[in-house]
Amino acid sequence: MKYLTIDTTTKITALSLADQGKIVSEGFLHTGKTHSERLIPMLDQMLHAADWKLEELGFIGVVRGPGSFTGIRIGIATAQGLAQVLKIPLRGITSLDTLAWAGYGREEETVVILDARKNEWYYARYKWLDKRQTLEGPKAVNPEQLICELDRRNRRYYFVGDAVPGAQQFIKAALGEKAIIPLEYQYLPRGAYAAWETWEQWQETGEVSIRDFSTVEPLYIRLSEAEVNFRKKHLEDS
Amino acid sequence: MDNLKESIILGIETSCDETSAAVLANGRELRSHIISSQVGTHQKYGGVVPEIASREHCLHIREVIQQAMQEAGVDFADISAIAVTYGPGLVGSLLVGVAAAKAMAYAARVPLIAVNHLEGHIYANFLEHQDLEFPLLALLASGGHTHLILFRGHLDYEVLGRTRDDAAGEAFDKVARTLGLGYPGGPYIQKAAASGNPKAFDFPRAWLEAGSLDFSFSGLKSAVLNTLNTAKMKGEVLNTSDLAASFQLAAVDVLVQKSLRALELYPAKTFALAGGVAANAMLRELLKKEMAMQNVRFVYPSPTLCTDNGAMIAIAGYYRFIAGKHASWKLNAVPGLNL
Repeated sequence: MKYLTIDTTTKITALSLADQGKIVSEGFLHTGKTHSERLIPMLDQMLHAADWKLEELGFIGVVRGPGSFTGIRIGIATAQGLAQVLKIPLRGITSLDTLAWAGYGREEETVVILDARKNEWYYARYKWLDKRQTLEGPKAVNPEQLICELDRRNRRYYFVGDAVPGAQQFIKAALGEKAIIPLEYQYLPRGAYAAWETWEQWQETGEVSIRDFSTVEPLYIRLSEAEVNFRKKHLEDS
Repeated sequence: MDNLKESIILGIETSCDETSAAVLANGRELRSHIISSQVGTHQKYGGVVPEIASREHCLHIREVIQQAMQEAGVDFADISAIAVTYGPGLVGSLLVGVAAAKAMAYAARVPLIAVNHLEGHIYANFLEHQDLEFPLLALLASGGHTHLILFRGHLDYEVLGRTRDDAAGEAFDKVARTLGLGYPGGPYIQKAAASGNPKAFDFPRAWLEAGSLDFSFSGLKSAVLNTLNTAKMKGEVLNTSDLAASFQLAAVDVLVQKSLRALELYPAKTFALAGGVAANAMLRELLKKEMAMQNVRFVYPSPTLCTDNGAMIAIAGYYRFIAGKHASWKLNAVPGLNL
């Protein structure tokens, strides 16, 4: 079964074409352009280079968040639009689960941190045994607080995610030997990670119907600012 | 050219708080038109919240398009092109429509047509009147824009004048809010004005320098606010209906006079009204009377087509499609797009 994966939840546009979990083509763009400008042209080039037709796809995997709100929506709207025309089902996967694949086979716990702005990270922690185990998250956390808690637990951690470059020094200073930070090409979102995550999910649930899997629910984790303020005001009033 | 007459356009609009899709056959037959409005969602915030609007579009776009296709009885294999609003509007909202339209056009192997939302408003008139003759003068007045535009032919136009500060609809909204009438202001002002005396207050009209076809509504808005504040300080209570009626007359007067001035300078066969303010009955009546005297055909869209909708995008997209104006897959949303 051939499939496409789309990940636009960070500043990177990451695509993959895969067949039964085997990656056939991978796209990675980390430029100054927007997802909107990069996505379809990149997909078109990949299909062309791989000699694949869009009509051969059996399903589409899309990363549904957390991450950039706008990015989440571009990914989902694109995946839904393609699937609607091709009449194929969709699989939604999370950005944190997807990046956990960067830590595959590691003995340390895999800590995924994504830039959530406002001095927060979207975070989840995993342990790779035979299978992946989610130890904590997904949630939005304060970086200082999280690192402090991780330090107290006295384990070793493998850090991945797009928040790593900005936080590298801070993490190293706080956790020292307990923190392992891989190279950039390993810790940033990649089509390959999404291809694996999608295939795992697909195998777990087996074939899904278009009827039930024609839409993907965004995972924002955070409410919009207006909703937060409204609730706050409502609480104060009551 | 013959095969182009047999065209089916899917139009998509997500620039603000309406998710809408329409299927238009052969540039004249509206086969379906779905509008999913978020007005209720934003009401408690006192205006459109961009992030919430974007989230709502993302949740509803698939269903809205599906419904439009079903109601029209067409499949993607029948579609000739997909037209989408790419600006102006809220960037997050626009991007949902642009991403969906691009993906669908790419997968269906049909041209993607990028439509300027403002062009769409004017083209709404062609949905109900296909035989409009050029040159055509258009007054586009909405919450975000006030433009006088001369069309010499399809897609061949020149902006003759535009607002230098507030848009006409914006002035209606702000005055309505100050008078405690509600949002959006247009219908509320109109209702209150019905029982008021339009000559009770002499509010200023901004004509600007001689011959200018530009507009300015901030002075008028401030005059209404000042009148209210002055009265408040003196402990007087003013008649809201009189205030609404006097404001409405001043705003409409400027719109009508500038339109007539444009017509003098650029004789036209048709005068078309567009945008949310086109729903104002007084503006319509006055223009209708004036245009009849000048022997100019006067048209305005029906109420559903005055507000944001996918049908107007489909018809504006149709004219771009037959002119061979296709967008690239690199199309991006342009929130500040102008005419």
